[in-house]
Amino acid sequence: MDRQQEFVLRTIEERDIRFVRLWFTDVLGTLKSVAVAPAELEGAFAEGIGFDGSVIEGFARVYEADMLAKPDPSTFQVLPWRGETGGTARMFCDIRLPDGSPSLADPRHVLQRTLSRASDLGFTFYTHPEIEFFLLKQGWVPGASPEPIDTSGYFDHTPHGSSADFRRAAITMLETMGISVEFSHHEAAPGQNEIDLRYADALTTADNIMTFRTVVKEVALEQGIYATFMPKPFAEHAGSGMHTHMSLFEGDANAFHEPGAPYQLSKVGRQFIAGLLRHGAECAAVTNQYVNSYKRLWGGGEAPAHLTWGHNNRSALVRVPMYKPDKGQSTRVEVRSIDAACNPYLTFAVMLAAGLKGVEEGYELPPEAEDDVWSLTDGERRAMGIESMPASLLEAIEIMEDSELLAQTLGEHTFDFFLRNKRAEWADYRNQVTAFELERYLPSL
Amino acid sequence: MVASRTPESVPAAIARLGFDDPRRANALLDDPALEGLAGSPDRVDAGGLSEALARVADPDGALLGLVRFMESVAEHDGMRTEVVAALRDESVARTRLVAVLGGSSALADHLVAHPEHWTAATGATPLEPAERTRRLVEAVTAAGPEDGADALRVGYREQLLGIAALDLTAADPLEVLWDTAEALADLAAAALEAALTIARAQVGPDADKARLAVVAMGKAGGHELNYVSDVDVIFAAEPADGVPEDEAIAVATDLATRLMRLCSASTAAGSLWQVDPALRPEGKHGPLVRTVESHRAYYERWAKTWEFQALLKARPVAGDPDVGRAYHEAVQPMVWQASTREHFVADVQAMRRRVEDHIPAAEADRQLKLGAGGLRDVEFSVQLLQLVHGRADPSLRSPSTLEALGALSAGGYIGREDAATFGTAYRYLRALEHRIQLSRLRRTHLMPAADADLRRLGRAMGLRTSPAETVDKEWRARRREVRRLHERIFYRPLLSAVARLSDQDVRLTPEAARERLSALGFRDPAGALRHLEALTDGVSRRASIQRQLLPVMLGWFADEADPDAGLLAFRKISDELGSTHWYLRLLRDEGSAAERLAHTLARSRYAAGLLEQAPECVQFLGTAEGIAPRSREEILRRMRSAAGRKDDPESAMLAARTIRRSELFRVAVADLAGVLDTEGLGGAMTDLTSALLEVTLEQCLAEVAASGEVLTRVLVVGMGRLGGREQGYGSDADVLFVHDPLEGADEVEAQQQAMEVVRRLVALLGRPGPDPTLEVDAGLRPEGKSGPLVRSLASYREYYSRWSLVWEAQALLRAAPVAGDADLAGRFLDLVAPLRWPEGGLDAGQVREIRTLKARMESERLPRGADRKTHFKLGHGGLSDVEWVAQLVQLRHAHEHADLRTTSTLEALRAAARLGLVEEANAAALEEAWRLASAMRNAAVLYRGKGVDAVPTSDRDADGIGRVLGFPAGTSQELAERYRRVARRARTAFEDELYGDGT
Repeated sequence: MDRQQEFVLRTIEERDIRFVRLWFTDVLGTLKSVAVAPAELEGAFAEGIGFDGSVIEGFARVYEADMLAKPDPSTFQVLPWRGETGGTARMFCDIRLPDGSPSLADPRHVLQRTLSRASDLGFTFYTHPEIEFFLLKQGWVPGASPEPIDTSGYFDHTPHGSSADFRRAAITMLETMGISVEFSHHEAAPGQNEIDLRYADALTTADNIMTFRTVVKEVALEQGIYATFMPKPFAEHAGSGMHTHMSLFEGDANAFHEPGAPYQLSKVGRQFIAGLLRHGAECAAVTNQYVNSYKRLWGGGEAPAHLTWGHNNRSALVRVPMYKPDKGQSTRVEVRSIDAACNPYLTFAVMLAAGLKGVEEGYELPPEAEDDVWSLTDGERRAMGIESMPASLLEAIEIMEDSELLAQTLGEHTFDFFLRNKRAEWADYRNQVTAFELERYLPSL
Repeated sequence: MVASRTPESVPAAIARLGFDDPRRANALLDDPALEGLAGSPDRVDAGGLSEALARVADPDGALLGLVRFMESVAEHDGMRTEVVAALRDESVARTRLVAVLGGSSALADHLVAHPEHWTAATGATPLEPAERTRRLVEAVTAAGPEDGADALRVGYREQLLGIAALDLTAADPLEVLWDTAEALADLAAAALEAALTIARAQVGPDADKARLAVVAMGKAGGHELNYVSDVDVIFAAEPADGVPEDEAIAVATDLATRLMRLCSASTAAGSLWQVDPALRPEGKHGPLVRTVESHRAYYERWAKTWEFQALLKARPVAGDPDVGRAYHEAVQPMVWQASTREHFVADVQAMRRRVEDHIPAAEADRQLKLGAGGLRDVEFSVQLLQLVHGRADPSLRSPSTLEALGALSAGGYIGREDAATFGTAYRYLRALEHRIQLSRLRRTHLMPAADADLRRLGRAMGLRTSPAETVDKEWRARRREVRRLHERIFYRPLLSAVARLSDQDVRLTPEAARERLSALGFRDPAGALRHLEALTDGVSRRASIQRQLLPVMLGWFADEADPDAGLLAFRKISDELGSTHWYLRLLRDEGSAAERLAHTLARSRYAAGLLEQAPECVQFLGTAEGIAPRSREEILRRMRSAAGRKDDPESAMLAARTIRRSELFRVAVADLAGVLDTEGLGGAMTDLTSALLEVTLEQCLAEVAASGEVLTRVLVVGMGRLGGREQGYGSDADVLFVHDPLEGADEVEAQQQAMEVVRRLVALLGRPGPDPTLEVDAGLRPEGKSGPLVRSLASYREYYSRWSLVWEAQALLRAAPVAGDADLAGRFLDLVAPLRWPEGGLDAGQVREIRTLKARMESERLPRGADRKTHFKLGHGGLSDVEWVAQLVQLRHAHEHADLRTTSTLEALRAAARLGLVEEANAAALEEAWRLASAMRNAAVLYRGKGVDAVPTSDRDADGIGRVLGFPAGTSQELAERYRRVARRARTAFEDELYGDGT
């Protein structure tokens, strides 16, 4: 038993914790939770808690289903929303096989593996997500249009607005859970909000995003509203993305920073972007994993459907934000394709792998896109060598199927499962007869 | 004034003293600088200077040094009188000074440059660590930040003089070794503190923002430093009150960088040693300085087992003592928890292998440190045992190698006598290292090559008669002793837990033995101990030889996937064979036999099973030819002669199959030893199968001949993997039976007789026997199961001319006669040639039919519940995908390209690639998948004793199979990962080739 585990056990006693939730994430990014009594925790630290992996999406091979969830004591956190006497706490778990080796199907391990590859090259990977979501009125029924809780716009201050109340409550709860919030505001669409988390190493950030989604949904329920991270709930409004700022550090130095270079962007930074662009389409099925994701990507406006980069160009897939003098450590790139419903572990893993591939193989960065890419014609884009993101989940799947990079990063097992799952989703979607079809064809055909 | 003398008058007495160059010595003794020291004219009187010189390692060097020193002394006013007074007569002071001058030319140079330091040598006393630090810090403070580095070096050497003086004048170099090593470690710590003082002065007031602690690692941390070696350190820092952490860390990093440069750099005053911070968290990629908390977090989350091993020796030596203490308290407990970490067993095994494999060292022949029998051997082995047992036993937790060795011996973890032997050997090697380094203050771990240097070294070790030869001989003897170290200190005590080996041996407690066995990878340590007991119990010759053999064999068992099974099988075989005269001799005297046996038994249940049935096969293991698979002719000859000695066919078959069992074992061992590749194995197994078929057929025909007239000739045609020479351990024999009535025989009667022969053949092979049963499958015959088991050649002709289907033509691609009538074989091949290599290839409809068949087969033949991605035969990218690509190309193009007319899948595929009928890259992907699937199927049989159809889902099976294939331990998931990747690529290639319209 190490100190951190002792600390957890002591805290549980002192704070009168009655249940500990052990959290982990399935391949699609859904949070899973097993509750254990504190008495079982010591055993869980030593040996893990056994569970039947075959019921978790993408985890187990069919006939060896036994798996172990091993809590990571450094992620111990008391959950504030069950704060009566006798509270609840949570820890993230690593998923292990019975022989103690990490399960290759555990998304957290997929990310850890990629991070340790980066660390072999001398890099640590930091991310900082800006998470968008919609607040809706409760009681949506299938077939009806979802109803946002307000009609405000970008940065609107809504006096006594429930959005502001909501954000305050959510941020307070996040901060009590040790998740620092950088920034929050009302977004462009009615009911749409954005909360930015402070930058941290990618594994912590991914854990934080999982916690964040849960907190936001919990707080919404407490306030009698409903929060959703669906990429595009309204055809007429912008969707919810998760723009993510990324940087690599070499020891204490920002590896993207080079004083005097254009945008203070070092060679490593340029090659990283080149990697993100060249492999962006392969990664799409992971960064934008639902049928609905592509309606956001191709919804125009600020959505980045083209594999370009630019400085303060909000139509580009990768944006190099404005450089603040004397803030060399903050040099970073912002990836704008990712949406709020992704699996953050897999997403960060594939983004990092794509960027590192650029660094390792010394990719050349194509010229920066200075125009609004949406305003160009197809011909102009072709002439400028600008490629596009997949137009649909099907296209994304087909591109991913041929990707060695994705297969290696996710591991063959997860790669295979993921593709099968997405193919099934696409088949279900294709089987639908939509309201669009009825409205357009029924009257005339 | 001494009268000058001519060279001829060199007194014989001087020549006898041991100067290399007596003439020069004689002249030097006359040097005016030595006036008042040299004594009487013949200068060999008792207690005279010459005699003092003659006692040191290098009398010539000492004399020259003394002259230079006295010349330098003469330049200092008033010093000479004092020096002469101290050195004139026999005294401790003179002995020490001369010893230093003769033991280290580097220190002699220092004395010449700083004659005022002479009292440091003559008046040397052991110093407390604090005193050492005080003196150095004072010296560098006085010099100021600019000149501090020089002052540090000078002050350091001054103290080194004292340490060397005490060391070189000791009666026994081994006795004082640890005092010297300790003093050197203290002096290094003092130098680090002094360097930090300079660094702080250079940085100025900002330096107070951080509280930096320097933690010594390695030999400096273990308090057992050499004269010259890298000093390993780790830096920990905490912010001073009110200073933000990142600012404090930046300051601390600056200080640490300066400190390292101050010690490592060469200045006008020379250099000290390299400061090496590479043992820090994340190694050279990690930040140089971390907070205590950050260190702790790293070791909790990321550290590997070897890093804990390094932490065994961590000791704060300089800088802020509170931070140092906090660091120590934070990380020390974790060292002893290392053995509860995951992968500990695998890590320990990897470390053990690192110890035993030995880094190939440059100049291996002169290495003191690396290589077999080097210092590193002792150090690693001791640390490994500390890590395994130290958690339960706090008495083992010492940072010093020798102390730990003592504790291990006192605790009964290694034999007392062994510990003493190795302790002495280790001390001896270290003393050699000290003397070698001291001579020129160079960082070297090589024995000198030149005779003069060896002679000096021998003398420095206290040898007087033929010092060069003796020191070399003694060193080699120690090295040999150390070389047997692991076996003795790691494995032998395991036996002492169950058997009394000798009276000196302390018994390892059963708990400690179990601990060590499970660290070695035994899953059932209690069971393993019982086997050890049974094997070594008693006074028989067998038990005593096994007591000698087992310590080594345990290591070999532990290398493999299933050490428990290996030990158990060894016990069974020994029980069976122990009383035969050759068995133990073979294991003891044939170098590789015991090793190969241990590896084979612990790696392969299949081979172990065969051997338990036929223990006499152990004999194969003695020689390399013993495991070379035999040719078909050779096997056939042996089977025939064994069968021929029996009267009835049943006994004859048993005899032939006993031969098959031995040959299977031989092939399995060759395969495990890596002598055979997939194709070689396929060939060997096919030869074995076809020889058995041949002998069986002969027996059946003989039976017929005995009871009447022979009416027909019979041929066995191999199909599938048998026809392709691709058989594995678990393969069935796919065959067609053909017969051809003799001239004038009645066709119906001949058919009946052929049927009888074939039925008898299948029945004989299907009986339980000494070897694994060979299943004969004639399912590919015309009309399948509803057709007759055997047909005449005419009937085949008739059938094929009327009914032949595309799938039959495809199956015939692999037809190759394996037993029976040779002439009939030729005619059968002529008959099927136009079927399998059809003129003009296939028409579009036939191609479509083949593609459809394949698609249907995939959906229908895959067993329920099987994983489509990992099924070796029918899964995506599996064997059948590869075979169908090759076969489609053959059917379409073999009529025009003779290269394609082969029964081997790989040959066909390669020919197709050469001819441009299959893309190179696709052919390569398909070949890789075919090889991997075949190899995994075979490895599964070897490991488990029975086959698997898909990548196993049990981790133990996957691990064992991986080990047979040469994967490292504990990588079961990588094996599956590898298969899935290779198969995925093959599937893409398959789809491209089978359904693409390119060719």
